[in-house]
Amino acid sequence: MTPEATRNYFELFQLPPSFQLDLDRLDRRYREIQARVHPDKAAHLSDTEKRLFLQWATLANEAYNTLKRPLDRARYLLRIHGVDTREEDNTAMPPEFLLEQIEWREELQAAVALKSLTALDGLAARLRKEMNSLLGSLATLLDVERRHPAAADVVRQLAFLEKLGRDIDQAQTELEE
Amino acid sequence: MAVTLTEKAARQVQKHLAARGAGVGLRVAVKTSGCSGLAYALEFVDEPAPEDRTFESFGVTLVVDPKSLVYLEGTELDYVREGLNEGFKFNNPNVKAQCGCGESFNV
Amino acid sequence: MLLQISEPGIKPLKPRRIAVGIDLGTTHSLVATVDDQRPKVLEDGQGRVLLPSVVHYRADHTVDVGYEAIAWQNDDPENTFVSVKRYMGRGRDDLPETHNAPYRFADVPGMVQFETRAGTVSPVQISAEILKALRERAIRALGDDIAGAVITVPAYFDDAQRQATKDAAKLAGLEVFRLLNEPTAAAVAYGLDQAAEGVYAVYDLGGGTFDISILKLTRGVFEVLATNGDPALGGDDFDRAVYDWMLREAGISAPNAGDARRLLSAAREAKERLSEQDSAPIIAPLSDGAAVRCTLSRETFDTLTSDLVKRTITPVRKALRDAGLSIEDIKGVVLVGGATRMPCIRKAVADFFQQPPRVDLDPDKVVAIGAALQANALAGNRGDDDWLLLDVIPLSLGIETMGGLTEKIIPRNSTLPLARAQDFTTWKDGQTAMSIHVVQGERELVSECRSLARFELRGIPPMVAGAARVRVTFQVDADGLLSVSAAEQTSGVEAKIEVKPSYGLNDADITRMIEDSYKHARHDIEARRLREQKVEALRLIEATEAALAEDSELLSADELVVIHENMRILKETSDGNDWEAIKKAADALNEASTEFASRRMNHSIRKALAGQKLEELDA
Repeated sequence: MTPEATRNYFELFQLPPSFQLDLDRLDRRYREIQARVHPDKAAHLSDTEKRLFLQWATLANEAYNTLKRPLDRARYLLRIHGVDTREEDNTAMPPEFLLEQIEWREELQAAVALKSLTALDGLAARLRKEMNSLLGSLATLLDVERRHPAAADVVRQLAFLEKLGRDIDQAQTELEE
Repeated sequence: MAVTLTEKAARQVQKHLAARGAGVGLRVAVKTSGCSGLAYALEFVDEPAPEDRTFESFGVTLVVDPKSLVYLEGTELDYVREGLNEGFKFNNPNVKAQCGCGESFNV
Repeated sequence: MLLQISEPGIKPLKPRRIAVGIDLGTTHSLVATVDDQRPKVLEDGQGRVLLPSVVHYRADHTVDVGYEAIAWQNDDPENTFVSVKRYMGRGRDDLPETHNAPYRFADVPGMVQFETRAGTVSPVQISAEILKALRERAIRALGDDIAGAVITVPAYFDDAQRQATKDAAKLAGLEVFRLLNEPTAAAVAYGLDQAAEGVYAVYDLGGGTFDISILKLTRGVFEVLATNGDPALGGDDFDRAVYDWMLREAGISAPNAGDARRLLSAAREAKERLSEQDSAPIIAPLSDGAAVRCTLSRETFDTLTSDLVKRTITPVRKALRDAGLSIEDIKGVVLVGGATRMPCIRKAVADFFQQPPRVDLDPDKVVAIGAALQANALAGNRGDDDWLLLDVIPLSLGIETMGGLTEKIIPRNSTLPLARAQDFTTWKDGQTAMSIHVVQGERELVSECRSLARFELRGIPPMVAGAARVRVTFQVDADGLLSVSAAEQTSGVEAKIEVKPSYGLNDADITRMIEDSYKHARHDIEARRLREQKVEALRLIEATEAALAEDSELLSADELVVIHENMRILKETSDGNDWEAIKKAADALNEASTEFASRRMNHSIRKALAGQKLEELDA
């Protein structure tokens, strides 16, 4: 097992490959691994070991972050099942979802024009609710019904919303400055 | 090859074990330490580990773990007096260099 | 040596490696170490712990550092450098227009440099003089050479500023175990001292920099959740606010350099006095025989500096939001940095967090103490009984794309170390080179971010346009420093990379500076290289022996022989005086133990997870 050869992040943490994940257990195992492989543990060792620890610690962080964030976890699970979410070129979305997107964007622009932090906070809260409901259906599609192409559609929708979330965040930051 | 005691050393170990009132033998080990890497250690043994090797020498059981054995093969343990000090001395045929303090050695 | 029999289970003592923690501050610096398991800040010959971060260059190229240099401030301001940390990794364009330091800036691109009577010097060289003085202090106090150091930097320092700090240490002949963020160092000191658990905020206002870090402390793990700050805001700015007020009060428009220096010192004294008293009298003699006399009340001071205080709160808000937390989640607020002694800061922090800040530890010493504790752990002196420190990258990393826009590749507050791979392709037939411009910052426009470096990739195999797939890997290590590697995927050819740092020094600059520093010293550069290689060889031998003692059963008999043989050769060569031969032998041993090291890692991880599973079963 070398860092490169570790293909499966679930295996690395010895967790079952499912969307619904025991996050406490993930946290504990991540820390247990970092306690062994973090570059700080190799500061007094040879260059070979320093390099190896750096690679392992980098892998552990990458794996942990992928499994910790629900959207990345879903993408990763789909990839294991050979389903590419094709977020760069597949923008086919249900028309009602696209209409909603336009509404969200209009509200964001209005809040920015008004320089209203309260409006932005409200928007962010509603977005979180919307995303949580989509994540709920993602859990059913992935773990129960195992309908991977349908799950990929939901992942694409969530990616839209996540981008919107980042834009709201950016607007909040700029307004505070 | 084995790890052995001189008769003098064996008498000392038996004396120590009797004074302690418990223990089945003497553990001879090599640990990382000192300025050039490895150091000897002597400990009483209450219960040997399954992977340990044991040797008998003048009625004393010597216990050595397999990792240490790599470095201790053929070693004879003596009990000597040097000036005001007395204690156990290792005669190890594997040693190539000893550090200034005598606490550790290289093989 | 004669041995006695010991009781089972008592570990024999390991030799200590002397390691120090250095707080390289804007206005003053400190060095600390761990002695007999207790951290202590080291004093100079006169019992002082603070070394003013001031360096004076004499005509004969010798330097004065600290109090000796301060004495030159008034008479030779052009050659006496204060607050040089503000210039680390910074170009002329980065300095505010109001910047009226008395130095002669050299006309060079990239990082600023100063003309002195001892020639052109960079902030890296000046910082190296401070580090050398601290290193000598440590050697004198501890009676032995130092195995390595942890040097602290503001959490919000970007890559160029971090690299400049590391380069300075290299010039000073220090082995850097780690660059450690100042608030993180403080959290280590505080967390270990108070056995703290929970989410803490560290508010660190130093002489020239401001940091806020939010950390989660749980059972031996220090995890930074978010960090933010202002790399050009500190106690110095409060002095300047008072100074500007004094000029207005006294009706002075353009003081000469000497007067400016004296007025600024008077401003600083008044500020410090106001931490204890409600008003401070100011008397500052001028070069024309007149004097500035006035009284500064705390009320006036608070008004003068209220904007500065507010400027610290914005980063605090941002850090909280990045951590996904609100004020109620913060269990305690730790104050760090001499500037947090100001009552207006303590009040602002208490008001914002709705709780009084913790001031149990000396805000001047806490960073150096944390750095010393970490240095001792990194030197391997603690064995398994140490802690895990997870820190983050403070600013996003991005690359320049079409139209001067930034594409983020690594978001801020990601846990270190980390790597991101990105694929690029060629746009012309037969194209064999490409250039990647890496920037750091949060803005969308490249021009509004900090330019870090341009990476020129060469040696891409010629193909038709769009056919090559060049995978560029951006690796950020535990020091927060970026390195880049690239390989063409279809052919597997590694691209050659030339780094053109925007505000840093390249390897050739560093080598030249090291050589320069020996022109005016008695030591020989070859002697230094030999010493460095011998230390490195000894460390490698020790590490290999320890590894063998622990895990030699992971090796076959043949493999064991190869490693032993390489170790023997290294021992032999390192007794000699040929540093190149020692380096070669060390490289060979490194190479020979690569597979062994890899197996040990796997073994160790499996053991860790097996232990976890047992614990879970018990629970």
